[in-house]
Amino acid sequence: MSRSGSIASAFDSPMAVLRALPAMFRVATAQLSAYRAEILIWILSATMPLVMLALWDAVAEGGPVAGMDQGDMARYFTVTLVARQIMSAWLSWELNPLIRTGGLSPHLLRPLSPIWYYLVQHLTHIPLRALVLVPLVAALVVWRPEMGLQTEPSRLLAFSVACMLGFLLNFLSHVFFGALAFWTGQSQGLFMAWFGLWSLLGGYLMPVRLMPEWVGTLNAYLPFRAMLSVPIEIGAGLLPESEWLAALGHQCLWVVAFAIIAIGTWQRGLRRYEAFGA
Amino acid sequence: MIVVRDLRKTYRVPQRDPGFAGAFRSLWKRTYKEVRAVDGISFDIAPGERVGFLGPNGAGKTTTLKMLAGLLRPTAGTLEVQGHQPGARAVEFLEQITLVMGQKQQLLWDLPPRDTFELNRALYQIPDAQFRETLAELTEMLSLGELVARPTRNLSLGERMKCELAAALLHRPRVLFLDEPTIGLDVVMQLQVRQFIAQWNERFHSTVLLTSHYMDDVQALCPRVLVIDQGVLRFDGLLVDLVTRMKPLRRVLVRLPRDFAGGLPEPFRAEGESWVADVAPTEVGHAVQRAFALCPGLDLRVEEPPLEQVFAAFFQERKAT
Repeated sequence: MSRSGSIASAFDSPMAVLRALPAMFRVATAQLSAYRAEILIWILSATMPLVMLALWDAVAEGGPVAGMDQGDMARYFTVTLVARQIMSAWLSWELNPLIRTGGLSPHLLRPLSPIWYYLVQHLTHIPLRALVLVPLVAALVVWRPEMGLQTEPSRLLAFSVACMLGFLLNFLSHVFFGALAFWTGQSQGLFMAWFGLWSLLGGYLMPVRLMPEWVGTLNAYLPFRAMLSVPIEIGAGLLPESEWLAALGHQCLWVVAFAIIAIGTWQRGLRRYEAFGA
Repeated sequence: MIVVRDLRKTYRVPQRDPGFAGAFRSLWKRTYKEVRAVDGISFDIAPGERVGFLGPNGAGKTTTLKMLAGLLRPTAGTLEVQGHQPGARAVEFLEQITLVMGQKQQLLWDLPPRDTFELNRALYQIPDAQFRETLAELTEMLSLGELVARPTRNLSLGERMKCELAAALLHRPRVLFLDEPTIGLDVVMQLQVRQFIAQWNERFHSTVLLTSHYMDDVQALCPRVLVIDQGVLRFDGLLVDLVTRMKPLRRVLVRLPRDFAGGLPEPFRAEGESWVADVAPTEVGHAVQRAFALCPGLDLRVEEPPLEQVFAAFFQERKAT
């Protein structure tokens, strides 16, 4: 049986992916260094958690909000900043023009799905992002020493795993929304609507516990907690250690669901690809 | 081996009335028009053949190439390239083909071409020894030299095309689909690319299907041509047969010495300072003999009709019918 050049069948042939990984990392790192200044500015521009921290810090000045004082707020948004940076994905923004203009064509001629290279490109950004975070987090700790960041190894490990699962969810959601451009030509609008829900229900703008109870009930059936809130809850100490495993399992289930949806959409989209342009 | 049978591709193109009212209406009511880009073409190409795929803009050439390369799915008909259905995009198929598009690039824009070569080495899983050997050959044949170390964005169009060709051929594909590989290049670079394609074909016996608006490319590279117009295959045969069919006459051009009084007899006629005769290929010898008999010191040239004229005549004939 012949292997098909798509992401799903690349899963069928993990050796091909593994063998290509070192070169993909080398080239993606070279690309990263070519754009380092712009990427640095881009990283620094993703400061919404700092804006929200300023806002909620002012709100909590008069006393704890839903049990969270100024220290809790500082810890929450510091962890949110870290999680957001590590889990960043932007693929749909790149896929949209590639699909609309036919620029995807040369990438599709290669025997390994271009999704793998995009994934590697995203992964190479993580160490740089982590590096940029060090002075930012240090400054926040100096500003609000009472935030009491918890850094015991088990928490750091669970937080890291939750972030990687959250990253996969974000990346796969970008594959899905990017692939919608095979049908619509442009799908950034749809992605922005999704991003709005993610910001609200994932706890990006405020801790989910500050929202009405029905939002929490609704959230149990939606992926946004797995995408962002779980790593924050673990990192900020909002989730008891006994519940970490269940939360990570919850994330894993969503990763499987997202992978099926994203890969299915990508493959169906490829059949509709019109390869515009000469 | 390439086998194409009754291949069709229909696009659904959104239609909108001009002006503000049309734009406003199309917000909630969109109408579509079906455009037949390829309308039932069939042909075979044997391994190692070099075939020119010709036609005016919008004839369906590039659409056909994209279907052959597995980028586009046909609306109907069957396709087989090296025993594979391109639409299935099997790895074994993708490893055997390449598609070079003069106006699309695979080179990473901000990195030197050698990084794209390295990426392709990994993605195509080219063994190290074969990669080094092929790259050395390509470097020599295309005179790449230090170009591979300069960021792609700093390369000229011609230099970039040479590197694109190298990136596309590192895995030694059996079938080369070349879509306008010389577009926008100066004549020197066109010649280099043309010579390279011929050399590569001879060296590796790869099948070449080439589209080009430059007739020199076709003349130099493609003994056989497929001519497509409005999605329909109008001619499949030897280029020389097409030329003979469309422009059966050869032009004999004579310049007489200044001291020669008088002119040349029929079929020659005066055109400025020259004498010209348009004759059948079998009559060329006779015409030349007659001219020399009258004036041994003349300057004489026999011209084939320019391919541009051949194709212009071909498509005008199609329009008329």
